[in-house]
Order: sequence, then structure tokens, then C-alpha cells
Amino acid sequence: MSEVVAPQVFTRRASGLVRVMSPYSAFIYNILTMGIIFPWTYVWAPTALQGSNLVLGIVFAFVFELPIALAYVWLATALPRSGGDYVFQSRVFGGGFGFTVVFAFFVVWILQWVALSGWLLASLGIAPTFLGLGVTTGIDAFTEIGTWAAGATGIVIISIANALIALVLLVTGFRNYVRFQYVMWYAILLSFGIVLLLFLTTNPGEAQGQLGAFATAIDPGVSGFFASAREAAVAAGVDFNPPFWLIGTLLVAPIAWTSLQWATYSSEQGGEIKNANVFRNQAFIMVGSLVVTAGLLVLLALAMQNGIGREGILVASSGYWYALPEATIGGNIMFPNLMAMAFTSSPIIVALIGLGFILNSFQIVCNCYIGTTRIMVAQGLDGLLPDWFSRVNPKWKTPLNAHVAYLIAAIPVILLFNDRFPGLNVPDWSTKWALGVTFANGAVMTLSALAAALLPYRAKKLYEASPGAKYTWGGMPTVTVVGALGFLFGSLMVGAFLFREELGLAATSNLFPYYVVAGTAVVGVIVYFVMRSVRASKGLKVEYAFAEIPPE
Amino acid sequence: MPLFSKKGKSGGQPTRLFYACDIHGSEPTYRKFINSAKFYEVDALVFGGDLMGKLLIPIVRDAGGTWRARLHGQDHHLKGPEELAEFHKTLETLGFYWQEMEPDEYREYEGNQGRIDTLFDVLAKQRLKEWVALAEERLADTRVRVYLCGGNDDTDEVLTALDDAQDRVVNAEDRVVELDDEHTLATVGYSTPTPWETPRERTDEELVGIVEKVVARVPDPSRCVFNFHCPPLDSGLDTCLQLDASVWPPKPIMRNNQPVYYGAGSQAVADALMTYQPTVGLHGHIHESRGLANFGRTKAFNPGSEYGEGVLRGLIVAIRGGELVGHQFTSG
Repeated sequence: MSEVVAPQVFTRRASGLVRVMSPYSAFIYNILTMGIIFPWTYVWAPTALQGSNLVLGIVFAFVFELPIALAYVWLATALPRSGGDYVFQSRVFGGGFGFTVVFAFFVVWILQWVALSGWLLASLGIAPTFLGLGVTTGIDAFTEIGTWAAGATGIVIISIANALIALVLLVTGFRNYVRFQYVMWYAILLSFGIVLLLFLTTNPGEAQGQLGAFATAIDPGVSGFFASAREAAVAAGVDFNPPFWLIGTLLVAPIAWTSLQWATYSSEQGGEIKNANVFRNQAFIMVGSLVVTAGLLVLLALAMQNGIGREGILVASSGYWYALPEATIGGNIMFPNLMAMAFTSSPIIVALIGLGFILNSFQIVCNCYIGTTRIMVAQGLDGLLPDWFSRVNPKWKTPLNAHVAYLIAAIPVILLFNDRFPGLNVPDWSTKWALGVTFANGAVMTLSALAAALLPYRAKKLYEASPGAKYTWGGMPTVTVVGALGFLFGSLMVGAFLFREELGLAATSNLFPYYVVAGTAVVGVIVYFVMRSVRASKGLKVEYAFAEIPPE
Repeated sequence: MPLFSKKGKSGGQPTRLFYACDIHGSEPTYRKFINSAKFYEVDALVFGGDLMGKLLIPIVRDAGGTWRARLHGQDHHLKGPEELAEFHKTLETLGFYWQEMEPDEYREYEGNQGRIDTLFDVLAKQRLKEWVALAEERLADTRVRVYLCGGNDDTDEVLTALDDAQDRVVNAEDRVVELDDEHTLATVGYSTPTPWETPRERTDEELVGIVEKVVARVPDPSRCVFNFHCPPLDSGLDTCLQLDASVWPPKPIMRNNQPVYYGAGSQAVADALMTYQPTVGLHGHIHESRGLANFGRTKAFNPGSEYGEGVLRGLIVAIRGGELVGHQFTSG
């Protein structure tokens, strides 16, 4: 009888084998990117979607994002070196499509994230922190700084400084950012943990008193804060006992998607994640970070329900969605971290909360640069943007040009976002259609999910060589199933942004948001055809950047 | 424009060449490389080194006409000729070699690195010979030439297969050869030391001598394409993980829970580009470092490599009168 031999692989010394690296750092990067501090689920959804259940809405967002994240696992392992939506879509749909979609709805639209990062840093980070320090220490200067930071001028100045500091940090060597990311991770976890604890150790009755005292400490002219805020909310149309609304709960998902859609952002750095073609690594990075972040968001929602009750959540939300000054504290919206600061008398606790939120806000602008400059470099190398964008600075070894271009482009967007652009009136961008960027970026991810679904058919050889090719479901490639589901759910969420007033774009008094959406797509198409012509005049075809050569 | 204009000469048509490297034994990627001549409508194909595959998969016969093998940490039990053929195709894409053997034969190889290395050379040389023959066959009715050379990962024994070159294939290994009516191609396949003690590593000091010796044979360096496998040091074309070679296999060096990257290229190559200002520098070796760098008037490129996924990364360059008139990165 033959002896069964389980053979091992024969290697040469010159095998190039490297010990497997933990994907832990990419996992952390993804969670930081998903922004557990993002406030919109908690301050937008409750009054825009009265009757919605926040916890269930976050769970829906997780369920809708899960097949998209899984689709990306297949894509990232099939193309572990190239990385990114630009390459994924170009391989499946063609270079013109991939370039246009990613340039317009990522590179251009993420300029809004630069503005948002500044807004978060000012409104969610600096302002509450200094207000809290002002109250807990009695130092008026802190309160004044906090009030200034929440105003339009403060937000604009902080936003530009934020973008500039991030640029300096990133172009002078990525290792500087790496050191900083390590600190950010633990600071944010600590900060978030403290906020959770503060909500869990108070109750609605106590919290209302604490919020009132806090408001009075900042503005002695304020009394009976919570009652006045509630009254104003009722007058504005808030129902404090609405029936459960399933559609509304489903519509919370696109809002929470502002955080959870970034579970796949590490794919933009594909080439830098060693063993990125290992399926379980990518699953850990993307799906693992999605599970953890969704869990943390649910925890915060539950903690807030415990701490301030549904009534408190609705009052806080009315300050955002209805822009009620009575429901703000010192001009600041009642974000979760601001409320948490009201529940403590310790300046150290206030500082720890503030530090995490400030750092996570700053990290967002770093992410903007990291992802989009990599895309611009790739597009420059492929000939779809001028070579200038892909040049690496010889001293710092970073794509300085792409970073500088992005900063310059971000400045007018920061001004527009905060309605401070000379001669143009764009009043609602930082409020009603702040999540336009979720729509645009979500469109890219939805199309990448479709690319994943079609990968076995449109890039057959590539798919067959990939680790995910062995998984099938009911005779169909599993990637097609998850990709199709991801495309369906993503389309529903993207469509909701376009047509539901509660999600902002459709709620404004003019068509400006839709012009921006259409305009960025048109710009992408124009850039593609111009660059194609420029290359053709030199006897080069940009299509060669993506066209697969037949091996037979 | 003259009715008959010479290729590559000033005022004439540019010479278009397609450059790729680091395919490490991948059969479909090599086939794409040969087919790229027609696909990209180029005049020459230049390969920048590292032809040899990295792993050898023993496929051991089992009971009932079945076979067993291990790949990517998983055991495969191949139950018939069809499954075996599919497995071969997967290995071909990955650039691995395979040998079907009886259990007793497998046991003779197990733990005997000397025998394994010899088998590697035999299989790699056989595949390279097949590749040379394929190129001769596919390009027979064309004016396209393919310039092949080795990299640091290739053994001298395997590279003797390039001596089979006849007409369309040019053995460019350690030579200066004509590219067109005006330009030459100078090739150096060695690299600086790596953590894996590859067969063709040299110190940077040794590379200076090797490069000088090759360039000394170039009639006009400004009209020469430098096909140097090792990229220039700290150029952005050589950025890779820094590894701790004191353990096996080497492991990435981590700082603040993040991997450390560094430039693994050659100062000798960087100096040669700056000193001699060739028409263009073509480099490989670091698969993840696709990009371009400027050395005075000379542009240096690394197209990167994705051979394991069956993707042929490459670069089309158009040269004329000692000038680089255009380039296009490709991903086929």
C-alpha cells in the first residue's frame, strides 16, 4: 500500500520569503479613518428622522457595508500591490471610467473632507475642549477661545492651519506621521472610553441639570437651559414621542455610513501592506475594523440613551438640524463629547476627552492627503494627470507636488464650505449637505463593489490567479454575490442621499449641490479626454495603462 | 520628413521599446511580454532581469492515480489529470516550478538543499530555454528583437540558456548591444546585497567596477539606454521594507508598530546615471517601487512587478537622437 506523503514546498535561499507581518497597523489605520468621533449619526439623525432608532440604524449601516467590505477583500487580494479603487475600476471597467469616477468623486470630493476635518477640529475638538476647560478652571480666556473656535472665522483659520500642518508633517517624511499615528490611536481610545463612561454613569435627570449648569457657566445670561431648549425644539417641530419609523431607521444607515464606509480605505495603500494578498489579513483589516467601529458606535448610542435619554438626544440634535440657538451651548452644538465634558468637573478629564477628539479630527486631514496623493501619483504615472503630480521630492522622498496641489485646491473649498467665499453664497454646505461627501465617496465604493462582482468575468485571468477564486456559492463566484449585494445596498444609500430631504442634498433651497455633483463628474471626463489627447500627440496611448495583454 | 527615415535618429521616427522586469518564472506573464510587441506596437522588447522562479512544488504521486502537493500553506489532493493540469496552470502563473515524483524520490530530496538547488537549476533552465524558443518563434516574422538578461535572483547556470538566442532574441547579459541605428543598450544584472544572499549580489564598491567596465564599451553614453537591474539608491525607485536578516525568513523591522522602509538601491548606479547622462535608465529589482526619478537630464524608471497576479507591469519609452521623447507606464 502506498504511503501517503504530505509534501512540503522546496525553496531556494534566494526565495524572497518574508516573515508574515501583522496587519494590525492597517487595522488601526482603518479604525482611525472611520472616525468613531464623527457626530452626525447622533446629532443629525434623531430630528431629521424622527422616530428612527439610532442603534438599529447603525446596525443597518453595518449590514449594508459588510458586503462592500467583503468585496474589497477580494479586490485587494487580487491586486495587492496596485491598491485602490482607481486600479480596481480601471481593470474592470476601463481606464476612462476608473479615472473619471475616482478623480471626480474621490480626489475632488475629498477636498470637502479637508474642510470637514477643519470643521471637526474646530467645532468638535478645540471649541468644546476650551469651553470645558473654561468651565472647570474658571479661566475666561479658555471660554473665549472656545467660543471663537466655534465661529465661522475661527473654523476657517483652524481649517487652513490644520491642512498646512498636516502637509508639513506628511511631506517631511511619512515616518513622522507614523510615529504620530501611534500616539493618536491610544489617545482616541482613551478619549472615547471616557466619554462612554461619563454617559454610563449619569442619568437623564442629573444630566439635564449638569448641562444647564455648564451652559450658565459659559454664559451667565442663560438660565433653565434644558427646558428652554426643549421648548424651542417643540416649537420647531420636534416630536418627543414619535412612533417607531422603520424607513427613518433605514435612513440612519447612510448617515452612519459616513463613518463605516471607510472600512475599505486601507486598500488605497495596498502596496505598503505586506502580505496584502493573504485573504485572512485583508478580512481582518477591513471586516475586522468594520465590526469594531460599528460596535463602538452602537455602544456610544446606548450610552447616550442611558445618560441623557431620548429626550436629551432630540434636544441636542435640534441644535444641529434646526439650527436652534437655544439648543446650543456657547454657540456650540451639543456634540456627545461636549455633553460629556458637562458631566465632569475635572479639567484633566476635559483635556483627555478633548485631546482624542482633536487628534482624530487632525488625523482625518492626514488621511485625505495620504489617500488622494497616492491616487494622483498613480494617475500621473499612468499619464492621466501631468507628470508633475507624480514627482517625488528627492530630499524627503514624498510626492510633494501632489500634496501642495491638494492644499492649494482645498483652500477655496474650505472657504465655500464655511460660506466665506467672497462673492458666493453657499449657506448650507456645512450643515444640510455636509454629508454630500459621503454620497460622492460612497458612489466610488459602490462602483468598486460592482467591479468586484464583475471581476471573474471582466478580468478572468486576474481573478483566477487570486486567492479568493476558490470561494464559490451556489456555483457562482462568492465575490460576485457579495459584490452584487454591496452594489445594491450602496446604490440604495447613494440614491437616498440624492432624493431624500432628510439626508440634506435635497433639502437645500437651490440646486447648487446638484451642480457640484454634476460638475465634478464633467471635470473628470474633461481631464481624461484632454490628457488622452496630449499623450496621443506624443504617440502614446493612455489605454495601455490598463489594457490586458492576451497571454495566448 | 524624409521618405525613408532611420529609427531612433534625430528627425526620424522614434524607436519605441517596451521594458519589463522581475517576472520570476511566471509563464503567462512572459507570454504577455512577448505578445506586447504587437499589442503596444513597439520596435524592441527589453527585459530587465530576474527570470527565475522562487519556489519548487513537488507533486507527489498518491494512491489511485492521485497526487498530493502543498501550496500557500494548504494541502492539495489532486484527483485526476484535469485537476493536475489546473494546478500546473496555477503554478505557472505564480512563477513556481514543479516536479512530479514518487514518494521515495521525494524523500531523497527532502532536507537535501544541494539536490534541491540542482533541481531548481534544471527546471529553471529548461523553462528559460522554452521561453527563448517561444520568443524566436513568435517574433520570427517581425523586425522586433527581444533583449534578455538576468537579475540578481538568477544563477549563472540558468542564464546559459540565453546562449540559445539566434535571431530575434539577443542575449544582453553583461553586454553592450545595438538597439537601433543610433542607440545602444548597456546591461548590468547585479544588485546590491539582499537579506537572501541571492546568486548575483555585489557590494556597491564592486558594482562601481562592473558598471565602469560595461560603460567603457559604450560608444556614446548619451545615446545609450542603461538597463541596470538594480535601481539608483534613495531615488524612490528602490523603496522597500527594511528587514532583519538575522532571522529566517527575514522579518520586517518595526518601529511604533509600523514597518520601516528604506532605499535598497545602488549608489554606483545613481552615480553612473548622473555622470554619464544616458538617454534613459531602466531598472527593476524592487517590485513595489514603481515610479520615475530624474538624474540631471536623464529619467530613470522602475515599472514595478505584479507577476504573481499574472499582471505584466511595464513601460513604453520612445527615444530619438539620444532624447527620451515620451513614456507610458503600462499594466497588462
